[in-house]
Amino acid sequence: MLINALNGLVYGSLLFVLSSGLVLVYGLRRVVNFAHGALYMLGAYIGYSIAIRFGFAAGVVAAALALGLVGVALDLAIFRLLSARNPLVTVIVTFGVMLILEDFVRSVWGTQNYAIDPPQALSGVVQIGGAPFPIYRLFVVAASGVMAATLAGWLRWGRTGLFVRAASHDPSVAAMCGVRTAVIGPMVVGLGAAFAGVAGIVAAPFLSLNPSMGSEILVLSFVVSVIGGLGSFPGAFASAMLLGQVQAFGTVYTPELASLLPFLLMALVLVFRPQGIAGSRA
Amino acid sequence: MTTISTIGNDRVAGILLRRSTLVSALVVVAALFAVESLGSRILVSLLTQAAIVSLLALGVGVLTRISGLVSFGHAAPFGLGAYGAAWALSGGSALPPEAGLIVVVPLVAAVFFLVGLVVSRLEGIGFSMLTLALGQAVFVAVSKFRGLTGGADGVVVNLPRRLFGLSSDTVQSPYGMLVLSVTAIGLLYVELRLFELSHLGRLAVAIRENEERTRFLGYGVRALKAAVFALSAAVAALGGVLYALYQGFVSPEILHWSFSGSALIMAILGGSSALWGPIAGAFSFFFLREGLNELTSHWLAVLGAMLIVVTVAWPTGLSGGVETLLRRLAGAAKRRDTQ
Repeated sequence: MLINALNGLVYGSLLFVLSSGLVLVYGLRRVVNFAHGALYMLGAYIGYSIAIRFGFAAGVVAAALALGLVGVALDLAIFRLLSARNPLVTVIVTFGVMLILEDFVRSVWGTQNYAIDPPQALSGVVQIGGAPFPIYRLFVVAASGVMAATLAGWLRWGRTGLFVRAASHDPSVAAMCGVRTAVIGPMVVGLGAAFAGVAGIVAAPFLSLNPSMGSEILVLSFVVSVIGGLGSFPGAFASAMLLGQVQAFGTVYTPELASLLPFLLMALVLVFRPQGIAGSRA
Repeated sequence: MTTISTIGNDRVAGILLRRSTLVSALVVVAALFAVESLGSRILVSLLTQAAIVSLLALGVGVLTRISGLVSFGHAAPFGLGAYGAAWALSGGSALPPEAGLIVVVPLVAAVFFLVGLVVSRLEGIGFSMLTLALGQAVFVAVSKFRGLTGGADGVVVNLPRRLFGLSSDTVQSPYGMLVLSVTAIGLLYVELRLFELSHLGRLAVAIRENEERTRFLGYGVRALKAAVFALSAAVAALGGVLYALYQGFVSPEILHWSFSGSALIMAILGGSSALWGPIAGAFSFFFLREGLNELTSHWLAVLGAMLIVVTVAWPTGLSGGVETLLRRLAGAAKRRDTQ
């Protein structure tokens, strides 16, 4: 029982870290990045390649840095250039980016599955309520919690975070007040991409690496966004946690239906509350 | 929808008798004859695949053109059409095979009308995300319910010896299916064109342009939005039925979201400035893929790059390009006449 809830928590926190990247970018650019899952996958593969040579921690740092750069490039080359166009144009372009990244991963790493062991210090199990539980999964929860809290604190109390919120609320007025929105854009998208990359490598030790991992998680993070309400951090948090629990308990009690439950949940939310848990009717 | 006007016979005749329509129909028929006598088997089978999948692209394109919505999940109606056809012919249904086949498309359309009532509450990006998720939900469901669908192994379509007076060999031969699917596309094209010109079709466009104002004019918009969604799903479902008949085998692969994505790319490549855009897009897609397969293994990357370039630099796509060209030619001819 407790173990199930913990597993749900692990999965939910992973989903939340991933979705917060989506929310961050949506808040500023009003665009949903369809390449977000591909960024997660790229982070996992890059992190994997570094981790097997220089250790797990180096892998995480490498994934964060590399994906941060990819995010900055993405913003400069695509989001900013297309910011005046219909958002759907950008969505379709990010879909194209996703195809290119998938091709890239396939040609560099091939189509086989990879698995990576958790770092030495975090391997092993602890006894929780009389049942063994991998330490690494507890680390995932802690790491996600720290990332989420840092992001929230930065946005809430940091000076730059204030600028990000201002630019998300109204880019032109923020720019008139002296916020350098030209810097905010690459920073936010880079941060969102780095989050996706870190989520990828952190998830690698308990989910295996393969070229379709990106699109699978993309669909789930969309389900999180639709349930939570587009562009809302609290909504994304609540729905990621809910989805994590649904997944964990579903796998145990209705293994046949488990992978369908997130979609059923989404359908229910749509019928009764189309704007999502935390969304406002705009 | 306070009034439902029917289209007068004169308008039907008008479309059918327009010179451009007649010329295109003649060209298509001539091309079919040419392909039969001159085309290689590879070419014919490529054309047949393209023709079937072009119905899926047309479904996606119709939705974009009329409602301005971008669907990432149209593999769902296509796949359900295919599974529906397999089920209708399996002997497991209460209806005789031919009657069963006929009801598949209306059934899929009815389901998607109900889905449309819910999903059409979202617009823009939300709609796109939702269709991706729903499409994938159907994929997961079909892969899971092994008893009904055969799971990942798929099901074999149990084609009877004769179907609507056609022998099963004709239906499953590339050329026979090519003629069949081109005929279907032609009939559907005329029908969709009539819908676009009808009162309801124009009302649907008005909803796309300004939903709130259309509501203020006193029209109910929800049912019509759902109906356009259902119509686009029905077009895709017809493609699925033909697919099942031709392949004789259906597996969840055709429900995967990457197939929806390909269809969307075809529709974008063809452009939505003409109704035939997505069809042209589908044929170009298949030929491009065939041609590039020999040159490079990076088809996905090429596809992605092409999608980006077309979306950003050439949003009207193939159909827009051809229409501009035709207008220029017509203009040049007119200038020559006046000189």
